[in-house]
This record gives sequence, structure tokens and C-alpha cells, in this order.
Amino acid sequence: MEELKSGAKGADWPHEPVALTDASFEAFVAKYSMVVIDCWAPWCGPCRMVAPVVDALAKEMAGKVAFGKLNTDENPSTPGKFNISAIPTLLVFKGGKLADRIIGAMPKEQLAAKIKKHL
Amino acid sequence: MDFDVIIIGCGPAGLQAAIHAARKKVKVAVLGHLEASGLNRADVENYFGIDQMSGKELLFKGAEQARRFGAEIFEQDVMKAERKDDAFEVITDHDLEFRSRALILAPGISRKKLNVPGEKEFLGKGVSYCASCDCNFFRQKTVAVIGDESTAASSALLLTEYASVVYWISKNLNVAPQLMAKVKASKADIISPASVARITGDEVVKGLELNDGRRLAVDGVFIELGAKGAADLALDLNVLPDPSGIIEVNKDMETSVPGVFACGDVTGMPWQLARAVGQGCIAGTNAAKLVRKEAD
Repeated sequence: MEELKSGAKGADWPHEPVALTDASFEAFVAKYSMVVIDCWAPWCGPCRMVAPVVDALAKEMAGKVAFGKLNTDENPSTPGKFNISAIPTLLVFKGGKLADRIIGAMPKEQLAAKIKKHL
Repeated sequence: MDFDVIIIGCGPAGLQAAIHAARKKVKVAVLGHLEASGLNRADVENYFGIDQMSGKELLFKGAEQARRFGAEIFEQDVMKAERKDDAFEVITDHDLEFRSRALILAPGISRKKLNVPGEKEFLGKGVSYCASCDCNFFRQKTVAVIGDESTAASSALLLTEYASVVYWISKNLNVAPQLMAKVKASKADIISPASVARITGDEVVKGLELNDGRRLAVDGVFIELGAKGAADLALDLNVLPDPSGIIEVNKDMETSVPGVFACGDVTGMPWQLARAVGQGCIAGTNAAKLVRKEAD
């Protein structure tokens, strides 16, 4: 935790997931050195289960990782571009490039470990 | 049908809850299939006072005991559970509607994996465990649903509204006639008896191989085993499970939603008979107390 905090670059990093659209997606991914996008939909049970975990990690990893949320129902273009066919899918971008995709709900420790290996 | 307490789940937690609630003279309905309980396939050898007994024998004795105390057991799957004003309304695969003032979730932890080659490799690349989550990604595509019971049937039905072709592959169809009639009236193509040998593809799913050698070209494979899962039932009732599907309860077996209790494996480990029975006792007693508005 302390290690993560010490890496913060300033107030510009979001401390909670930013709601994104197809239109704002690319600029958000380009803005930060590391980005995680939670692709979700309102009727998806596992998406609702993992949402509090994503919220908590966004706070804990602020300054190292910028988190976004994309409603796949309202924004079909981005899921199509990344061939998403199951949600929740977390897209991990490093330096603007897709580095990983994490599929399905999982406990916080497990999800944090999968993200931290890209730091 | 009106009851005081509805218990979803027919394993040791649900049945013990039924015994304790019914002994407090409240009207109890238990919904679920006895044979779906993990105890049905277990040998009991570490339970208080019992050196060795088949889980099936103990389970069926427990069901008889619950019935003797007045609980009614309906061997039906729950399709929908929701709060309606001050009551809970539950609809089963037999199209029956149950209402109660308290509800106990004791559905256990269900196995969701098919364990065939390609299943893990193509997760998120055509393989899905949640038709309601992912149906939108398969509009005008060809999909297969795999499973024998109510979740597979309802998923196949749902997918007919999105995909152009829906195959339902089942080893052994085990679905209530009312639900089966709906699937048969839909455009879903039922392939049974049949079982999946492997899921094939390159970057994404391209097809399925069945154990009898048949091959099907599909874009999506929905693995939908058993009855509606604990997490989905909980979410219907606005109880939010953790990402593993575990439902948090307090010492009284109350969930975060008033009137909804949970007990047994769905509340976490250790997944042991003794724990399930102990929690069932507390949940059943407290649900009955709530209904009778007894003081602690």
C-alpha cells in the first residue's frame, strides 16, 4: 500500500473508476501509464459482485493505475473492437497498449495480484 | 401459495432450518431437489454420533423428519425470487408461485465447470458461464447451451431471443414439464442424449465435438449446469455476494436484507455437514421468530 501511494504522480490520477463511453475511451487509455477498464452491464450478476472490489482497488492503486468503467450495453463499439464476449472483463493497458484481459469476478487479492504483475 | 417461511435448498442446512422453523409452528415450504445436495453423494464419517452412514440415507431421513414436523417439500427449482412489498415471491420451474414473510437461502455451492478440453482456453473467447450476462454479444450468431437442468433450459430460451441458432446439448434432460414445453415451443434445437467431448477453435470458439463423433459449428458455448446458482438468487433479492459467490451473514444468519437469511455452504467454509446443520438451526429458528415477532 505504502509503495503504491509513494508512486502517485499527483491529484490528476482518479481515486475511483471513471465512467467511460466509446467516445472517451481512447483518450483515457492514452492519458495514464497504466489503465484498467472494467467492462460491465447492469444485468450482469458477476459484474455487480466485482464492482466493490474494483472501487476499492481504484482507491488503493491511485497514482499507479487509473481505473475506468465501460457499460457494454450503452457502448457496443469498444467491446466489439476488443472482441469481448463475456463480462465482467477487465482490460489492462500499459503505455496505451492492451497488456492483459482478466475475465470473470474474483476476490480482491486475486484481482490485485493479476493487475500488480503489470506494474 | 402462502407460507410463513420459504427455504431455498434441500440439503442439510435447508432441512435443519425447516425442522426448527416448523417446530415453532410456522408454515414452511422447502424448495429444491434432494438429489442435488452434495450430501447425497457423500459418505458421513465425521458427524457427531455417526461413525459411518451414506449421506443419501441421512439426507432422506432428514427430509422425512422435516415433513413429520409439518414442513412441505417441493422438489422444484426456483426460477425467480424477489421482494414484493412486505413479502417474498418465488416462482418455480413448475410455474408455481410461493409467497412468504421470511426467506432462507440454503442452496449450497454449485459446480459450474464442465471440465472438457477447450473450456478454460476459450473462456471469454466464446465460452461463457452466464447467458444473461453475455447473450448480447451473440446476436445473430450460432450458440450451444450445455446442461441438463433448469438453468440450461432457461438459458436456451433466453438465447433464442438473441442468437440465430441455439443448440441445447444435454446428456439427460431433467427439466420440469412446464419449462420443457416452453423450450420445445421455441426455436432452440434440442440435441439429447449427447455430451461434449471438446470445445474447438483458434483465437475464438469455432465449434464443438460431441462424444458420439458429431461436430457442430458454433460461435459461443454457454455452460449452464444445475439449478439457478446461489449468487443469482441472492442478487435477485438485493443481497450482494462477494466475488466468490459467498453470502455474508451475521451470527443470527441474517443477510444484509431484512427477512432474508442464509445458511450452509453458501455462507463460506468449512463446507462441512456439522456447520451446515448448525447454521440451519439458527436460520430456521430466527426466521420463525421474525415471522412470529417473538422477542429474543
